[in-house]
Amino acid sequence: MAFDISTLDLDAIERREAAKNKGSALKLVAAIGFALLWIVPFYFLAISIFKSSNEYSRNPPLALPEGLAPFWDNVARAWELGSMGQAMMNSAFYGTVGASLAVFFAAMAAFAITRLDIPFRNGWFMLIFAGTVFPFQMYLIPLFFGYQKLGLLNSHMGMLLFYTAICVPFPTLVLRNFMSGLSREMDEAARMDGANEFTVFFRIILPNTIGPMTAVFLLQFTWIWNDMLFSTVLGNRLETRSIMNALLVFQGSYSSIGPNIVLTAALLASLPSIVLFFLLRRHFMQGLQVQQS
Amino acid sequence: MDRAAKDKALLDRIGIDQIARNARARRRGQLGLGLVFMAPALIMVVGVLLAPVLFNIWLSFTKWRKFTGFGEYAGFANYERLPSNPFFNEALINTAIWVGASVVFPIALGLGMAMFFRNLRGAETFKNIIFIPRILAPTAVGVLWFYVYAPDGLLNRGLGLVSGRDVDIGWLYNDATVTPAIIATFVWQTAGLVMVLLLLGLAAIPKDPIEAAHIDGASRWQIFRYITLPLLMPTLLMVTILSVLAGFTVFDLLWVMGANYPGQRSLALAVFMYFEAFQKGSWAFGSAVAVIIGLVVLCVTWFQTVLQARVDRMTR
Repeated sequence: MAFDISTLDLDAIERREAAKNKGSALKLVAAIGFALLWIVPFYFLAISIFKSSNEYSRNPPLALPEGLAPFWDNVARAWELGSMGQAMMNSAFYGTVGASLAVFFAAMAAFAITRLDIPFRNGWFMLIFAGTVFPFQMYLIPLFFGYQKLGLLNSHMGMLLFYTAICVPFPTLVLRNFMSGLSREMDEAARMDGANEFTVFFRIILPNTIGPMTAVFLLQFTWIWNDMLFSTVLGNRLETRSIMNALLVFQGSYSSIGPNIVLTAALLASLPSIVLFFLLRRHFMQGLQVQQS
Repeated sequence: MDRAAKDKALLDRIGIDQIARNARARRRGQLGLGLVFMAPALIMVVGVLLAPVLFNIWLSFTKWRKFTGFGEYAGFANYERLPSNPFFNEALINTAIWVGASVVFPIALGLGMAMFFRNLRGAETFKNIIFIPRILAPTAVGVLWFYVYAPDGLLNRGLGLVSGRDVDIGWLYNDATVTPAIIATFVWQTAGLVMVLLLLGLAAIPKDPIEAAHIDGASRWQIFRYITLPLLMPTLLMVTILSVLAGFTVFDLLWVMGANYPGQRSLALAVFMYFEAFQKGSWAFGSAVAVIIGLVVLCVTWFQTVLQARVDRMTR
């Protein structure tokens, strides 16, 4: 049967297309309206850091800044008042060293659990993973007391010890799941050739686990960077406090220090997380995916 | 030679016993090696996390406060004191509100946004914007919103613009508004994560049953209600548990945003515990509050494993 184009209701098709387009245009407007709830606070932050204290209190909160010059003054004052340089160094140290050590320890444990012939492999895993079950409140008092007794209170080593420990259990779960999915043929072959377990671990398993290790490292680094509670309890000194703890300095004196300066400090403290997120978005999302499973 | 001896001789020649002995020896050998590999993780977790938990439980049964009573057995006295403490009761009610709100709002919002953004072209930018608050520290987010809620801050000015007269509400200073205001900030921060997790869950749902239902003339609501939602249940369950735990142990936001609120101590259980121990020096009493928080968290986690097993059975 020949196809007769005149029987097609072209108008109806056009109407339907138009309706569809109108629908998606409406949707876009709705999406933008909705996203405003998230954009407005960020916009407020973005303009406030360019205002002087005087200008901040004089003009409406959403008014554009009169100039960009006050920004550097805000940064300088926030940096000085919060001793942010020291705090940033501390948090960078805790975050990189603590998360690296934790992920490495977790990889070692995951290797033993998935690759070595040990009894109670699930029991060992549960013992390590039990570190994620309890709320932070149960650690606070004993750690404070124990740190005081051992002289670890307000020391870099003490803070590093805690941050490393708290970051071990979750990567152990992720890396155990990943390693149990890795093919055994390669390490069996290496063992046949006389490689010992250390060689297998360092030469074969670790190089194949770099992806998930990076993902959990990022998650744990961000956790350490964002922590305020444990720094307040275990390392509440100028020399040892974390960057988020340093932000609390402004908290007690909201009235005397202008909001423009406090907001600048908050942005400076958040900058590393934001930069990391945009540079390594893929790894972050991968991390979320493993967090879910 | 009788039969048994012959078998034995044969087995010796094959070396079965030797193989079994070797396997047993390797097993023992590998346990040692395994312990070497697990030692750093075990020492960290047991020494820094699990031992303190046990120590905390023990402390909660002592009379330790300020400089006295360390190690003196008190029985359940600390727990018996809890119900008569007005701050504890208020903190308990507030925490219940937090749990309810942190389940309902982020999930309703996150599910709505996930369904909305799922098939929208160019949604990536929106998704990023809504997700970003989650990567920021609660401390930083709290500082930002502190100025949104300030008496001469963004919210009051905005409301003033809409209503046409001066609005001067101390959002973070009144009993009636402080908890809802901080919950709103919490929702602002966490809805993006819920959305992303639900989008991941939605992406894993097979397309066939939805298309089949569509061809059979099912409405979009019917498809959502009877196909998408049941298949999304495992993800929803996980997100719900995450939200319950996050709402139950919320601390940072309350600490930053509630700093000027006179009743800060009663804002939630975690804050109450901190005040009792680290500001008042009631160490044993604070430990008891921590144990209560821990018990609830354990119950929720246990409940999750039970439900998870049931959902797994249903969806298999």
